[in-house]
Amino acid sequence: MAILEVKGLSHTYGGNTPFINDAVKDVSFSIEKGEIIGIIGHTGSGKSTLVQHLNGLLKPTDGTVLLDNEDIWKNPREIRKVRSQVGLVFQYPEYQLFEETVFADIAFGPKNMGLEGDELKNRVIETCKMIGVKPEYLEKSPFDLSGGEKRRVAIAGVMAMRPKVIVFDEPTAGLDPKGRENVMQIIKSYREATDATVVIISHSMEDMALLADRVIVMNKGELVMFDTPEKVFSSGEKLLEIGLNVPIVTRVFYELKKLGVNVPQDVFTVERAVEVLCEIRGCKDA
Amino acid sequence: MLKDITFGQFYDSKSLLHKADPRIKIVLMVLLIVFIFIAGNMYSLAFAAVSVFSILLVSKVPFKLYLKNMKAILPVLIFTAIINMFYGEGEPIVSFWIFSLTLEGISRAIFMALRIALLIFISSALTYTTTPNDLTDAIEHLLSPLKYVGLKNAVHIMAMMMTIALRFIPTLIEEAEKVMNAQKARGADLESGGLIDRVKALIPILIPLLLSAVRRAYELAEAMECRCYNGGEGKTRMKQMTLSVCDLWISSGAVLISGGIIVLNILI
Repeated sequence: MAILEVKGLSHTYGGNTPFINDAVKDVSFSIEKGEIIGIIGHTGSGKSTLVQHLNGLLKPTDGTVLLDNEDIWKNPREIRKVRSQVGLVFQYPEYQLFEETVFADIAFGPKNMGLEGDELKNRVIETCKMIGVKPEYLEKSPFDLSGGEKRRVAIAGVMAMRPKVIVFDEPTAGLDPKGRENVMQIIKSYREATDATVVIISHSMEDMALLADRVIVMNKGELVMFDTPEKVFSSGEKLLEIGLNVPIVTRVFYELKKLGVNVPQDVFTVERAVEVLCEIRGCKDA
Repeated sequence: MLKDITFGQFYDSKSLLHKADPRIKIVLMVLLIVFIFIAGNMYSLAFAAVSVFSILLVSKVPFKLYLKNMKAILPVLIFTAIINMFYGEGEPIVSFWIFSLTLEGISRAIFMALRIALLIFISSALTYTTTPNDLTDAIEHLLSPLKYVGLKNAVHIMAMMMTIALRFIPTLIEEAEKVMNAQKARGADLESGGLIDRVKALIPILIPLLLSAVRRAYELAEAMECRCYNGGEGKTRMKQMTLSVCDLWISSGAVLISGGIIVLNILI
C-alpha cells in the first residue's frame, strides 16, 4: 500500500507578482512503505520545492499530497501532526541547532509533539544509541562539536520524532568522504530500526545506485523519470541531456564499450563492476 | 511572508528621474521639502501639490505604489491632523471639556496633513527612482566635506556599513526563511499561542540566524581583507557619478517650483 502519494502537484512561487515561477509542474508519483526513493535533478529543477510539500511546509498551488491515503491538507490546523510523521532534514541541518545542550536540541522535536519527562528522555537516548551519538555528548553544547558531529546531532533531532517517512535534502553536502559514509550509515540504521520510508535528494549518482530502490528524475519542475536505478541509469543519454550524470563506474563501462570491449552497459556499482569484470577475465574468486 | 517586507523600494523604469544623478536628486528633494513647508497660503500650497504630482507623473512609477507608501503612514497623518485640529488659538465652533474645535484649527490640520502627504510622496519619488546602492554612494559624496573637519574615514565607513547592511537584507531574509522551515519541520509552532509563547517560539529561529550573521560577517571581513580593503583612502569607483542634461532639467524644474511657491506666498 502506498504510504505517500502525490497527485498532480503544481507549485507556483510569487502568485500575484511579475516574478511568477512554476517551481513544480503537475508531478504525480506514489511511494510504497519501506522504500528508499532517490530524487535527482539539476539545481533549480524543483527537487527542494517538491519535498517541502511532502510534510506540508508548502501548500500545493494545485494537486494533493496523500499520507496513508489521507489528504494532508484536509485539516490545516492539524498540519503539525503531519510534520512529525514526515520528517524533513534540510540541507546543512547543522545550522538549525540552537539549544544549550545536545540533549535539549534533540529533544526539541519530540517536545513539540507533546512528549515529556521520562518518555522524552528515553526517546532522546534511544535515538542517540540508534545512530551512534555518544552519550557523553548529550550534555555538551552543540556548538562545540565538529562539523560532522553537528550534522549527526541535527539529523538525530529529526529522527527523534520517529517519522514514518524521512526526507533528506542533500544530506551529504559539504562533507568529506568519511562524513558522507557516516551519514549514509545513520540513514541505514534508522531505517533498520524503524522500517521507515526514506526519500533522499542527492547529487551523488553513486549513492543513488547503491541505496535507492527507485529514483525520481526531475527536470525544470517536471518529473521525467520514476524507475529503478537500473532502468534510470541505462537511459544515460537522457540523463546527460538534462545535465545530469551516471555513476562513474557506468561511465567507465560506456567508454570500454566505445573502445570495442564487449561489456554490459547496466553496471552501476563498484561491486557489480568487479563481478562483471571477473566473469570476463575469469578470476578465481570474485 | 517575509518576502513582503520592503527594503529599498527601487522600481525599475526609464524616466528622467531614474537617469538623473542621485546626488542632485537628494539635494533637490531636501530643497522641495523645505519649500513645501515655506508655502504659507492656500494658493502656494496648492501649487506645491500640483508640482509634486507632476513629479510623480514624470517618475513613471505606478501611482499605486505611491499610495501603498501613503497607506502605511496614514495613521500618523490622521493623528497629526486631529491633534492640530484641537490645538491652538481661534474662535471655537464646538467645544467640550478642554477641547475646542476652531476654524483656524481645521485649516491648520488640513495644511499639516497635506504637507506631510507631499513630503511622503516626494521622498517616495526619490526611493522609487534610485537604487539603495546609488543612494548610499550619493550620501557618501554629499557628506564627504566632513573629512575636512576631522571625520576623515567616518563618512566612508558609514557608507560602507550602509551598503553592506542593504546588501545582506535579502540574504538574511532567505536565511531566516530556511531556519523557520527547518524548525517548523521539527514541529515548532510559530502561529499559535499567547504573546509569551510566541516570543519564546522565536528563540529557535533567532539563535541560528544570529550565528549565521556573525559567521557571514567573519567571512565577508576576510574576503574584504583578501582584496586589500583598507577603508576609503585612494579608492576609485567603478561607476562614476556624472552630471548630465537630465540633472539640468530636474534642477530647473525644482527651481521653478520653489520660485512659484515664493511668488504665490508674496503676491497673495
